[in-house]
Amino acid sequence: MSTSAGQKGEVIVETRNLTKTYKDFWGRSKVHALKALDLNVRRGEIFGLLGPNGSGKSTTIKLLLGLLFPTSGEALVFGKDAADVSKNERIGYLPEESYLYKFLNAEETLDFYGRLFNMSAARRKSRIRDLINLIDLDWAKRRQLKEYSKGMTRRIGLAQALINDPELIVLDEPTTGLDPIGTRDMKDLIVRLRDQGKTILMCSHLLADVQDVCDRIAILHQGELKELGAVDSLLKVQDITQIQAKNLTPETEEAIRKLIAESEGELVSMENPTATLEDLFLSIVRDSDSRPGFVSHKEDTPAEPEADAEQPEEPAVAE
Amino acid sequence: MVVDQSEFESFGFWLSSYMVDFAMLLLFILVGWAILAFALAAIRNSPGRAAKMIAGTIKRAFIVDFPRTSIRRTMAMSRLAIQEAIRNKVLIIFVLFVALLLFAGWFLDVENDHPARLYLGFVLSASTYLLLALAMFLSAFSLPNDIKNRTIYTITTKPVRAHEIFLGRVFGFAAVGTLLLVLMASVSYGFVVRGLDHEHTIDKTAIEWDESTGLGTGKTSLDAYHRHDFTINRNLEKADGSDGLVGTTELAKGHSHNIYLRDGDYIVGPPTGDLLARVPVYGVLSFLDRYGQPSEEGGLNVGKEWTYRSYIEGNTLNTAIWEFENLTEDMFVTSNSKSVLPLELNLRVFRSTKGKIESRIRGEILLVNPEETLRNEERFSAPIPFEADEFVTTQVNIKFSDIRRQNPVTGELENIDLFRDLVDSGKLQVHIRCKEHAQFFGMAQADLYLRAPPGSFEANLIKCYLGIWMQMLLVILLGVFFSTFLNGIVALISTVAIVAMGMFAGFIGDIQTGEAPGGGPIESIVRNITQQGATLELEMGDTAIEVIKSLDGFYLNTMESLAKLAPDFSKFNMSSKVAYGYDIHLDLILRQLVTTMVYFFVLVLAGYFILTSREIAA
Repeated sequence: MSTSAGQKGEVIVETRNLTKTYKDFWGRSKVHALKALDLNVRRGEIFGLLGPNGSGKSTTIKLLLGLLFPTSGEALVFGKDAADVSKNERIGYLPEESYLYKFLNAEETLDFYGRLFNMSAARRKSRIRDLINLIDLDWAKRRQLKEYSKGMTRRIGLAQALINDPELIVLDEPTTGLDPIGTRDMKDLIVRLRDQGKTILMCSHLLADVQDVCDRIAILHQGELKELGAVDSLLKVQDITQIQAKNLTPETEEAIRKLIAESEGELVSMENPTATLEDLFLSIVRDSDSRPGFVSHKEDTPAEPEADAEQPEEPAVAE
Repeated sequence: MVVDQSEFESFGFWLSSYMVDFAMLLLFILVGWAILAFALAAIRNSPGRAAKMIAGTIKRAFIVDFPRTSIRRTMAMSRLAIQEAIRNKVLIIFVLFVALLLFAGWFLDVENDHPARLYLGFVLSASTYLLLALAMFLSAFSLPNDIKNRTIYTITTKPVRAHEIFLGRVFGFAAVGTLLLVLMASVSYGFVVRGLDHEHTIDKTAIEWDESTGLGTGKTSLDAYHRHDFTINRNLEKADGSDGLVGTTELAKGHSHNIYLRDGDYIVGPPTGDLLARVPVYGVLSFLDRYGQPSEEGGLNVGKEWTYRSYIEGNTLNTAIWEFENLTEDMFVTSNSKSVLPLELNLRVFRSTKGKIESRIRGEILLVNPEETLRNEERFSAPIPFEADEFVTTQVNIKFSDIRRQNPVTGELENIDLFRDLVDSGKLQVHIRCKEHAQFFGMAQADLYLRAPPGSFEANLIKCYLGIWMQMLLVILLGVFFSTFLNGIVALISTVAIVAMGMFAGFIGDIQTGEAPGGGPIESIVRNITQQGATLELEMGDTAIEVIKSLDGFYLNTMESLAKLAPDFSKFNMSSKVAYGYDIHLDLILRQLVTTMVYFFVLVLAGYFILTSREIAA
């Protein structure tokens, strides 16, 4: 339904001079949540709205979904006004918190949302099976959501956003509440969905998430658009060249240093890179999953203490 | 039993007179919404944008949203509402109801003279109040909870139309309420039937026999706090001594029993006549004054504040006249082919002299041809005597063969044919007079009627429950409507206020027109404080009275206008008809259905516009 429709690069979401001012009962302006925002989100890209809390990210998303009405300007999705309910046929939305009915179980939840898309029973059944497998909740599909952990609720929230195989997926803080594995899975899934031709609009204040997955970003601050463009070009530092090489001897490193000095360049740093904590954590957990009981960092384990020796202040990293 | 005057109007007449009211209601709601939505949108945006939004909403409603209504989506919302209600343990209401019935013996008067009325009134009232309370809570809190918990975000971002959200909730809660009502009705029926069921025995040795007539009399055993006088006719016993009906008991506590001969013993059968659905054929009431002249003012007022009934004076020409229409001969043929005109009277008796207080007051019935061009001798039947007592239903079954007229020539009584001599084009007048000096009969239009063949009690009970169901649906509609723009508790209070207003609309109107004495709220408070009776002229300074009446007038006018917008819930309550054993006419059900449908469409439309006009995430 979704991937084949439309051309890559076609504008899916458009805001024109989109402004939202919250007013009090007497019509006096209280908060200027969004000021004359102009944005385009194109088919097949992952677009990130980035900004600190209160910058207008969620307001923009709510305006695009018709949950709020603009004070002025326009919000268009698939060329239709945001207040037009029919646009929702092609949208999947994951709210900031997974606002779901806690008395339903996973299957009932997805079945309910499938019905809202007027899906036939057979199609609902197959989508529910696929999505429950996708989010890896087959083992808990009959449990009421009130028994779910935050991460599980987030995953079922994502599944409901995908129930209609949407063309545009709107994700509000998609990694909130997820552990590092869940976060990585979510980011992988977002990229995979983009690769399947979906358009993704996400907002987050977690810079690493946005950097990892987004093709283009808009940075908002105090309701104003401060920066807009491709992540690569925005983050590119033009006057610094980074070279990464494996298996260099100290002599070769020294030769490189000399070469830089001879060509009047300035060596900023030359060191062995460190992995991110996320990479380290994921490698430990995956290793542990594949070899239960195996302790990887024996050298950090304190030696058998002597009778009068002091106890270590911190426990070992991995037990 | 009090019957509202509007019940005598035909459905067609009622519909034509209420169409304007319904149209006004629709107009009021829509124009009210447009003005309010425009004002709010203009404050939050600009007048130009507000007008554009309103126009866009109306256009989208009729061109896009309503035509694309999806039954599957609506049913999904209903399913959710049902699951929510059931998992919130609403069925506990049924348990509460059963507990009420189990312990009913603690608070119901088991020695009441009319146990059927008591039991039916109790179960129907309990079902109504419990169900309406449940409907109010379910409907008023559901949508605000969804908005508060933001679960509504995952609904409104799907292709769900606002009216589907509204309808889904209404249908879902109605389904839960229906299930509860069916359960309550089933248990109630069992409770009433079992509660009324009892047995008596007859002590054969205590029967007093009149050998000359073959009639035996006596009293049954004391069971269920009563006993019956009975009469057994030995002549009915079969020669071979086989089983059969041999007598009946007198009426006690609203029922009687048949007596059977079985294996040589007299057996008292189950109670009969307490669960009825009498079908009354009503006539139009008018009066002649004490000189026999048509009275414009109606009957007399004997000083009672409640003016529902008028009175006629005894031993004068003061007459109450009921004129019946569309009578046909086959309406009165009984199963044993004897034609009987079955009259039933619920007259009130007002005694201005004590006399013999135990004795009934005598009256007479005259069957009269309404064709006034005939001579009086031809028009009037001979008087048929009867006796009436306060709060007692008097049955007068006039056999066709007993209807006589005085021959104008010979002066002797002669038999006449009811339909040939007295009924003119299906019309017949029944005149009632009181025959005792200084005593009065009181009556309203519904107090004398012809009894058509009775309907089924069970069918009547179902009709009554249909009325309760429609009340429940209206309450749900109101609750969901208010919850589209108010928070839960305010929506609940608003629903309660509208229901109360609808229930007391007639009373508010009576106060406003002065028919109910005592004035408005301020005047009533003043009267209470200064200890002045409600029917007396208010004694205060002219200016003070003017101010009080003006303030009351403004308040009552406002209340009456608001009450006109509310559905008249009192018209849906038919429990007294079932309890008193009267069939609920189909016209009444039709009126309620039409009223419910009108409110359904108006409130769904209003709910749609409010939901589409509000910012869900604001």
